Amino acid sequence: MKNLKILSITLIIFLFANTSIFSQSVTGLQVVENVYNRPVGEDMTADLTMTLINSSGKERVRTIKQFSRDFGEIEKKIMFFVKPADVKNTSFMTWGYDEEGKDDDQWIYLPALKKTKRISSDSKSDYFMGSDFTYDDLGDRHPTQDTHTILREEELNGEACYVVESIPKDEDYMYSKTITWIIKDKWIGLKKDFYDEDEDLLKTLTVEKYEDIKGFLIISHTEMKNVQKNHKTIMELKNIEINTGISKSKFTERIMTRGI
Amino acid sequence: MEKILNKLLKVPYIVMALSIVISVIFLMKMMDNTRMETNLDKYMPEEHPAFIYSDQAEEWFNIKDGIIIAVENKKGIYNKETLDIVKALTKRFQKMPEIEKADVTSLYTADNIVGTEDGMDVKAFYKKTPKTAEKFEELRQKVKTNEMVYGRLVSTDESVTIIIAAINKDVFTQEFYNHILETADEFQTENVILHVAGRPIIEGTMALLGPADMKKMVPIVLLIIVFVLYFILRSIRSTILTMLVVLFSTLWAFGLMAVVNIPIYAVSTMIPVMLIAIGVADGIHLYSHLHLFMMENPAAKKKEAVMDMIKYMWSPVVMTSITTAVGFVSLLTSQVYPIKYFGLFTAFGVLTAMLFSLTIIPAGIMIFGLPKMKIKKEKENNHQFAFNFAEKVIKYRVASMIITVAIIVLSIVGISKVWINSSFLDKFEKDSDIVLTDQFINEHFGGTSTINLILDSDSNDAFKNPEVLRLVDKMQQDVVGNLAIAGNSFTLTDYVKRMNKVMNADDEAYNTIPDDSDLIAQYLLLYEMSGDPENLWKVVDYDYAKLNVNFQVKSDNSKAINSVLSEIESFEDDFAKLGVKMNYAGSGYKALIFTDLILEGQIMSLVLSLIIVIVLLGVMFKNIKLGFIGAVPIIITAIVSFGIMGWFDIALNTTTALLSSIAIGIGIDYAVHFIEQYKLNSTSGNKLLTAQKTMAHSGRAILFNAVVVIAGFLVLLFSVFPPNRELGTLVSLNMFLSFVGTVTIMLNLLYRFNIYFEKKNKGE
Repeated sequence: MKNLKILSITLIIFLFANTSIFSQSVTGLQVVENVYNRPVGEDMTADLTMTLINSSGKERVRTIKQFSRDFGEIEKKIMFFVKPADVKNTSFMTWGYDEEGKDDDQWIYLPALKKTKRISSDSKSDYFMGSDFTYDDLGDRHPTQDTHTILREEELNGEACYVVESIPKDEDYMYSKTITWIIKDKWIGLKKDFYDEDEDLLKTLTVEKYEDIKGFLIISHTEMKNVQKNHKTIMELKNIEINTGISKSKFTERIMTRGI
Repeated sequence: MEKILNKLLKVPYIVMALSIVISVIFLMKMMDNTRMETNLDKYMPEEHPAFIYSDQAEEWFNIKDGIIIAVENKKGIYNKETLDIVKALTKRFQKMPEIEKADVTSLYTADNIVGTEDGMDVKAFYKKTPKTAEKFEELRQKVKTNEMVYGRLVSTDESVTIIIAAINKDVFTQEFYNHILETADEFQTENVILHVAGRPIIEGTMALLGPADMKKMVPIVLLIIVFVLYFILRSIRSTILTMLVVLFSTLWAFGLMAVVNIPIYAVSTMIPVMLIAIGVADGIHLYSHLHLFMMENPAAKKKEAVMDMIKYMWSPVVMTSITTAVGFVSLLTSQVYPIKYFGLFTAFGVLTAMLFSLTIIPAGIMIFGLPKMKIKKEKENNHQFAFNFAEKVIKYRVASMIITVAIIVLSIVGISKVWINSSFLDKFEKDSDIVLTDQFINEHFGGTSTINLILDSDSNDAFKNPEVLRLVDKMQQDVVGNLAIAGNSFTLTDYVKRMNKVMNADDEAYNTIPDDSDLIAQYLLLYEMSGDPENLWKVVDYDYAKLNVNFQVKSDNSKAINSVLSEIESFEDDFAKLGVKMNYAGSGYKALIFTDLILEGQIMSLVLSLIIVIVLLGVMFKNIKLGFIGAVPIIITAIVSFGIMGWFDIALNTTTALLSSIAIGIGIDYAVHFIEQYKLNSTSGNKLLTAQKTMAHSGRAILFNAVVVIAGFLVLLFSVFPPNRELGTLVSLNMFLSFVGTVTIMLNLLYRFNIYFEKKNKGE
């Protein structure tokens, strides 16, 4: 059953790849949708190491054990802090919805308080755990929210890429535009430049490494550099496991309190 | 020397032309290479440990000076008009290149972290301005229940809210200052009044107002000086030549600064003040001698007269100038570069004034002829007055000594009252806009001045330790509770307490530091995840080993700041026990240290130059006793002028402290001319007649010099800028005291110690 699914996904990729190669006029939107829809498995388990480096070169390292699973309309994710020691077993759960305009549900469990609390935040432009990534940057943004144009095709790190400019339809959005280098046959955004409201370069995201795991292309090492603040975040995924069949019951408040 | 000067007399046109040409070259250099240094940071001695630490801390915590815009609506701020303005203005500031987007704080940008039944809510107070009365009431309640905002961004009477825009370092310019004020003007409406305050604005206004006022006053000062000088010299030529000495020496001093690429600092504007006082003196003494010579030899040719003038006057002019210059060079001991430059270039100016006095004035006389003088009646009257005065001074010497001692004692009492003030705000009129705005904001909020206390621990995570945080909290409460001047304080403890309260369903009982350091760490993690982590790094460093505690103070006056510092320092031992050290940062603190440094340097150099002067005079007059006597006018001037500052509550600041240098410059001039003349006249063998003759010659010249400069500088009393008024008062006061000290006390001492008569009595 599972193999069949993988097969069909691979087939879809293949078809997509083919159509884009053969069709003369692949649109910017199509390219970005391909990236958005690139299959990454149904569930994933990984150890995330997040390193924050500030302008004076000081580092903070956090390690997190994370589980995520796509339930179609809902994507659920749970994260347990492993390090530093004083926040160990603090856990964080999000339920993200495909439905446009619906805010994520978020919970936090603080072991020292022994309480699970709901957090509601009204901003997608919030930074993720004090890093240089916003929640949007982490891949939640739907392609239809921007207008995409292919600027050119060029090679980056030996990969043939489309260079796509994306301008938000909402004028008040935190970025005035982004420019993404997307690998043609893999649909991986290899590099992305974010421009601030004044159209100055704000951040650059680079993919340092992606791995083929069970036939899925998983980005496992990225760096986001805020060039204005000279601040950097490195995210590395290790021990990645895909489609291990994480059960539905993993994503509950009760599990959050249990720790790893 | 005399030979050279006499040779120059043969080529007056060349001397004149050469002086003019070189001056014009310097003027041209000034035109293309002079720049004003308006960045106050450039004034600070960067290598001083307090400054090094402060600069580092400013980097760690992104400490910047903030512009404060108070948005006032008498009907309250919770209406569309006011909140639209807050939003629009916030966005406008965020777009300015001088301001980082994250550095603008207002009700529009602030996060409202609130506790709910089952969790926590992080929301903006408003994004779109509310439309209905209920929504405004809801917003009002949100603000009222958030102690991180209430009383800090919104006044407790709800009529004012502030926008704070921290500006980047080294970007403040006149244009930016104007731009801010124009922007504020643009947003102002009938109901909504905008007030602009904050340190950059005060500095900007000062940088604008001081020189603008000087531009208006200086021509009047010069005009009065020229007028009085003419009245005294009774000759247009002599007046012009004397003023040329001042003008050329000033041009050369500033020209040299331009050539060696040193910018003009605020204190450099004191250089012309010194050169006017000193340059005029040389001219007056020369003309005074010429005048007397002409009276005695009415038939003399101009060359004879000039040669006589050079013969008798070159040495006192050179002596006074060299001692004065050495006095100014002693300012090189100061740690503050602008002061060093001030000393160096004033010394250079004094020497060029000497050069010009001895060249241009004789050359001018050779070219334009002797000044026409009405010699007849004046002679009797003037001399008689001087003779009588000298006689009375000597007759009542015991009384004058007693009075002097009494005045000095009184002055020393006054000196003990002198206080140092590094305040910028105190330089403005009490009813000026800038002071009123500052008061207005201080009435409604914690205070416009900030003191940054930096707590420094060797161990990481020290500031997650409940024991340490509790002590910080206690200190904050003590300082704010005990001192009316300290409006509020803010640091990590406020975040921790807020999170603790919020996570316990907004129960006020939990507005405390929790006992468990893990819980503190988890709260902070939660804040980072939900709030704006950038805010945290403004109060604590990545390793939680350094903490920045902000105190808002309602005055930038040194007394106020010092009272807060001493309250803070009462916790020093408690912190030391926990392994935490105290330091400070920020521009207010730097200004305080800076003023101390200037004063320390000033007093050091005053003492040093006094010693040098005593030795130099001793060597020049070949009598160490004369060194001490010659220093008397300086000592009296310095002590009494500081005493008067104490009694009249004129605080010491960079300008007023530097003015004590004038005591040295003028005091030496007077003393040397007087002693030199006394020596010449002592050949008569009659002590009283010597004193009388000296009074008629030198005393008169000294009086004229004092009158000219005092008359000119008194004009500054009409200035609209208080520091310029203080300058006028103190220059006049210094001139007057030097004059009085010389013609009374010093004369008495010369008389009492039989100077120049001792040997004669024994020898002949």
